[in-house]
Amino acid sequence: MLLNVNTGLIFWTVVTFLLLLLTLKKLAWSPILGALQEREKRIQEDLERAEKAREESERLLEEQRQMLQKARQEAQEIIERGRKAAEAARQELLAKSKEEAEQLLEKARREIELSRDKALEEIRNLAVELSLAAAQKVIRKELDPDEHRRLVEEALQEMRGLS
Amino acid sequence: MSLATWMLSMAAAAEEVAKHGAEEAGGKADFILEEVADHVLVPLPKVLGIDLSITKHVLMIWISAAIVLILFSLARRGAGLVPRGLANFFEAIVVFLRDDVITPYLGEDATRYTPYILTVFFFILTMNLLGLVPMGATATSNISVTAALAVMTFLIGHGAAIIRKGPIGYIKHFIPPGIPAFVVPILFIAEIMGLFTRHFALAIRLFANMVADHMVVFTLLGLIFIFNNVLVAFFSVPAAVAIELLALLIAFIQAYIFTMLSAVFIGMALSEEH
Repeated sequence: MLLNVNTGLIFWTVVTFLLLLLTLKKLAWSPILGALQEREKRIQEDLERAEKAREESERLLEEQRQMLQKARQEAQEIIERGRKAAEAARQELLAKSKEEAEQLLEKARREIELSRDKALEEIRNLAVELSLAAAQKVIRKELDPDEHRRLVEEALQEMRGLS
Repeated sequence: MSLATWMLSMAAAAEEVAKHGAEEAGGKADFILEEVADHVLVPLPKVLGIDLSITKHVLMIWISAAIVLILFSLARRGAGLVPRGLANFFEAIVVFLRDDVITPYLGEDATRYTPYILTVFFFILTMNLLGLVPMGATATSNISVTAALAVMTFLIGHGAAIIRKGPIGYIKHFIPPGIPAFVVPILFIAEIMGLFTRHFALAIRLFANMVADHMVVFTLLGLIFIFNNVLVAFFSVPAAVAIELLALLIAFIQAYIFTMLSAVFIGMALSEEH
């Protein structure tokens, strides 16, 4: 009963199977497998794109970091330069003012000396005149003018020698 | 072949029990073997020696094909780049078969044979499961059906191999290179025999597995009539239910095994080296 081979059944099996195969191939396998491949391709591409984007962003980040570093360095340099310039200016100003002060002092000292000399000269002349006048008044009667002058000159000479 | 003889003796015993039981139970036991036994529904004339009558199993084959077609037509709506619902379910199975069954054994030829392998799997699975449905019958428990499927696998694999390698290259393929000349004829015969045995076993394996669980259920329920005691039913019915649950598992396993072996045999026929 069980092992009887029925050619009609074989025929119907083959026919049904082949029809099913052809129909399913059109109806199901091609769309399903196509969609599968499409999706796999898509995922692959997405992964590659993500990887690329990651690399790109890393590169950009690195670039930014370098730029920041450079900017910081430049700022540092500018500050340093400014400080140096300020220091130089300060030094220069200081030197200049010192020099000016010195000059001023020197000038003042000279002027003082000059005026002192002048004053001494004037005092000397005045002293000569005064003593001349005094001597004239005192000795006018007994001495002739020539003898008088000689004596005064003598006295003056002595005075100069003293001073 | 001890399996086949065992099957035969089982079948004979089952028939005897069926007759006996039918007499005892008023024809009720017949119902159990309905799933395995075939009978003509619509008689048709013979064409070229082929009896075209629509039998119960022919009907079951058509119903299976129709179920597969309807399910995949329904699944079509959800198909696409982001599958939904039924399409998602079938896609998971298709991906499993493609990546774990077809591609490993067929390699570069995988794309060409994928439709065949997938159709084999879903067709056989539906036929197996139909036997577990009330009023249904297992078409795959008929040797003619499994033989037709096995022959198709054989013809596809070896037809493609002959076309690809040419008749001479195809025959050379049976002899591994670098063996002594006197061994060649023996080896050739052994290879050819192995080839037919493989595909014969492919048909028998599915057939026997599908028959077996119905036979066991039949025997278990038959015990009630043999002992002629209704108390035996308290043992027989739970045992039969357990066997039916096992049959559900076997339906999937055997569909998978037939599919996988089809892929393996086609891959073997197409491979360059033996």
